[in-house]
Amino acid sequence: MTWTCDQIEARLSDYLDGLLAGAESAEFERHAEGCAQCGPLLASVKSLVSEMHAMKEVEVPPRLVYTILDQTLGPRETATGWKAFLNFIRELASPKFAYGAASVMATLVILVGASGFSWRKPKLADLSPTSVYRKADQKIHLGKAQVVKYISDLRVVYEIQSRLRQDQGDLQAQPEETRPKSAPEKDPGQTDDHTHAQPRQQNRANEMARQMEMLAAECPMILERSYR
Amino acid sequence: MRRHSRRVFNVCYRFVGNRTEAEDISQEVFLRVYKTLGSYRSAHGGFTTWMTSVTRNLLIDHYRRTKRDRLTDSLDDAMPVVENKESTARRPDEQALLGELSGQVQMALTRLSPELREAVILRDLQQLEYAAIQQVLGVPEGTVKSRINRGRIELARLLQQMGVRPS
Repeated sequence: MTWTCDQIEARLSDYLDGLLAGAESAEFERHAEGCAQCGPLLASVKSLVSEMHAMKEVEVPPRLVYTILDQTLGPRETATGWKAFLNFIRELASPKFAYGAASVMATLVILVGASGFSWRKPKLADLSPTSVYRKADQKIHLGKAQVVKYISDLRVVYEIQSRLRQDQGDLQAQPEETRPKSAPEKDPGQTDDHTHAQPRQQNRANEMARQMEMLAAECPMILERSYR
Repeated sequence: MRRHSRRVFNVCYRFVGNRTEAEDISQEVFLRVYKTLGSYRSAHGGFTTWMTSVTRNLLIDHYRRTKRDRLTDSLDDAMPVVENKESTARRPDEQALLGELSGQVQMALTRLSPELREAVILRDLQQLEYAAIQQVLGVPEGTVKSRINRGRIELARLLQQMGVRPS
């Protein structure tokens, strides 16, 4: 069966929507490929359909939904006088508002406390910008000094620890007979009368003892923690 | 509610080609649906189909009301394929639409006769099935297919006249 141009035009959408049977579809395509009228028509309609399928939806005006609700369910009632006040109180008692208010209060308490305000002896002068600035500056400097001190203490501890490890390594590397015999009743680093310690070892032991004493006097907590 | 209002507004906008009129008709649709909700039966093919039918009826009513202003042929006559060109004097917002292909398609749509226009909108823009379109329009399936086909071809020809070439 050979299709005419009118038949092609009448079944064009059936072809595009996939409603033609296999043989019909093949015949349709054969005609469209060879016809100067139907070929361009098929191309333009095909392009148009794909363009329309890809067209985005138009944005709905935001007021449309509210207008529809107003027209169907009636305008929303606005409470006045005592009713409005009661509604306001009810909203304050809602958990959502309570959580928000609690978090804001906690933040305020922390900020005011950090600014140096005394809750036990409150003074209005403590809340003046100059006073708040001065106290905040003081606190920042104090904090910075504490951090610097802590870091320097740590450095001392690490230095001593590394020297102790180094000495331990040196002692293990020496042969058994050259190693000084330890005496529990003697001071660290001292040897007995028969085998005299070498001067270098003696100096190192003395230095270590002096550093340990200094460290114990300066920061007993850190020393205790590092040896625990 | 938002989903339905979006769909109704889009159908209206594609049909009338004007946001303000589309908004007014959308409001009318929801008011009509609200008032006649008791008459809805699931046999109508689902709520969406029923709502689309209400939308379509109001669009046709609107078209008839504004018929005199448009200088078009009567809707009850032999259904002209293309509306009178004088009725489509371009407003500034329409001029802006012509800058892009979707705007040109929209412009061409408003020049189609209402019967072909509604069929093409429901099929190619709302992407409804033939059975649903048949229920919305209340015509046999053969008529639906014929209208969609004629609508597409006329739309393609209109775009060609407007200087738009297929990609």
